Amino acid sequence: MTTVNSGLSRARRGIAPGGAGRPAPQAGVNRASKLHGQTSRTYFWLILPSVLLLLLINGYPLVYAGIQATHDGSLIDAGNFVGVDNFSSVLASEAFWKAVQFTLVFTLVGVFGSWAVGLGLALLLRTRIPAGGLFKVLLLLPWVVPIVVSSTAWNWLVASPDSPTAKLFTAFGLETPLFLADPTLAAVTVCLFKVWVSFPFMMMMSAGALTSVDNTVYEAASMDGATRWQQFTGITLPLTARSTYISWILMTIFCVNDFPTIYLLTGGGPVDATTSLVVYAYRKVFQDFQTGPGVAVAFLMTITLVIVSTALYRQIRKSSVE
Amino acid sequence: MSTVLHSPAAPPAGAGQAPAKERKRRPVSEAGLRGRWWRFALILAVTAVVLVPIGAVVVLSLLPAQASTTTGLTLENFTGAFEKTLASTWLANSLVVTLATVVVSVAVAAPAGYVLSRGKSRAVSGYSLLLFVMQSLPIITSVVPLFILFANLGLVDNLLGITIVYVASTMAVATWMMAAYFDSIPVSLEEASWIDGCSVFGSFLKVVLRNSLPGVLSTAIFAFLLAWNDYLVAIVFLRSNEIFTLPVGVQSFFQQNATDWGSVMALAVVMMIPPIFVFAALNKYFSVGGIGGSLAGR
Repeated sequence: MTTVNSGLSRARRGIAPGGAGRPAPQAGVNRASKLHGQTSRTYFWLILPSVLLLLLINGYPLVYAGIQATHDGSLIDAGNFVGVDNFSSVLASEAFWKAVQFTLVFTLVGVFGSWAVGLGLALLLRTRIPAGGLFKVLLLLPWVVPIVVSSTAWNWLVASPDSPTAKLFTAFGLETPLFLADPTLAAVTVCLFKVWVSFPFMMMMSAGALTSVDNTVYEAASMDGATRWQQFTGITLPLTARSTYISWILMTIFCVNDFPTIYLLTGGGPVDATTSLVVYAYRKVFQDFQTGPGVAVAFLMTITLVIVSTALYRQIRKSSVE
Repeated sequence: MSTVLHSPAAPPAGAGQAPAKERKRRPVSEAGLRGRWWRFALILAVTAVVLVPIGAVVVLSLLPAQASTTTGLTLENFTGAFEKTLASTWLANSLVVTLATVVVSVAVAAPAGYVLSRGKSRAVSGYSLLLFVMQSLPIITSVVPLFILFANLGLVDNLLGITIVYVASTMAVATWMMAAYFDSIPVSLEEASWIDGCSVFGSFLKVVLRNSLPGVLSTAIFAFLLAWNDYLVAIVFLRSNEIFTLPVGVQSFFQQNATDWGSVMALAVVMMIPPIFVFAALNKYFSVGGIGGSLAGR
């Protein structure tokens, strides 16, 4: 049994969702309208638990966060209203902009690095390879294993001067690198770690998109003398473009909001070189106990993400109607 | 993006199948065979490099400590780690929280996904947008206000508290996954049961849900991974050692005993066995590709 989603194929065939493929029950007008009323009522009850949960766990805190961001309180004390002071102090601080910068780098590398690796492996696994099925499962492990486990393993591999990687560098006569102590190297290591954790997700997304590409298109192209690279840029990329776009969006969201990948490997250091916005907000609230500025950072991220994600969502919907 | 298939057992459905079969019958040229082994070597090398950190965890957990007299491989790190720490309590906590999250999130997401799949009104598409926006928000924004709310309700340092947060954070993706699966079930099945006098709710339970085991499993795996692997929510809401889940417990032990690699890695192995086991047993049901289609489809 496979999970088949008709969304895309439906869109490609030019049929509106819930349209022709899904006729209303035709059991006489009276019965149909009676059923329709019952349907709406049932739908209401079916979706209610989910809506309540979202309002309580996501909606309410959002409103409360807005209140906290404009007060100078702490975790236990609500504090006084200070207007936009928290926002202006955050926006004026150098550390905030450094965190913005790192978040951008981390996200760009995370999204495109994991996409490139994931797509490459998906393409490779699409061909016939001995034990291909086993590799597909093994390559998913970095995504399946808890971050606490993999960050511990990476720490052992790279952290100290007598870690295996450092020894390897020394054995080749190179300078012993301080992967997590040097600001630039630490940033590189964290980004690599993120790619390592995330590429299986992109591999799954790409593999899913590739199964919908008809093999005969490639056969026709190679008969016309198209090279492998031309087939890739001329067939694979355009035919999977929409799904690629969606996977970029999802991965961007995952990267911007990522906390454990960074925090567990470096804790945001050295000298804040790997502090992303989420880590910055977390440290403000739970280590410096400055709830107001910390929540203000999270709130700024929230507003940006709401605007961006609404726009992207519209874009996805529009592209599927074409 | 009709399907995600990383299951060796299931061949890709539809268009790609016929040519693949044809090719199988054709004799493989020597160059084709050589290409296949080159690709095998390449993927073997990549997989080996990718798995180094995970392999290191396993090996280190089995090597005896330097002070120990045992040679060869040993399980003493495991017995030692369970004696030194509250690992058995943490393990039980993690299992309880994860199972509760899985059950509740499927129970809440399945009906919502059904409405998302079958509903046509503006309210339904509005709800879909709401899910997408909620999914894109940093969890840190809700964590601080929730901490204060939960403190008043006695849910801080409480397993029920983090379970509620986990269920809420699975909601968007779980609903999309369920909806994506329900999309593949023909509406005519329900219509037939309506004509037989079945209510809408009855047909959802007896006809749709009963035929959706792969969709339910896929959602359950997702919820399992999220709850089992989470660190951020647990570190914020859990305060005392005996309430910790495995990730927080192991991390706190690691921070205090950074050189006791044997025990740390033994606990790490304990932590990664359940997700690997679940994934190995059920991975053919797991599909993330549906999420994309589900997002785009309505």
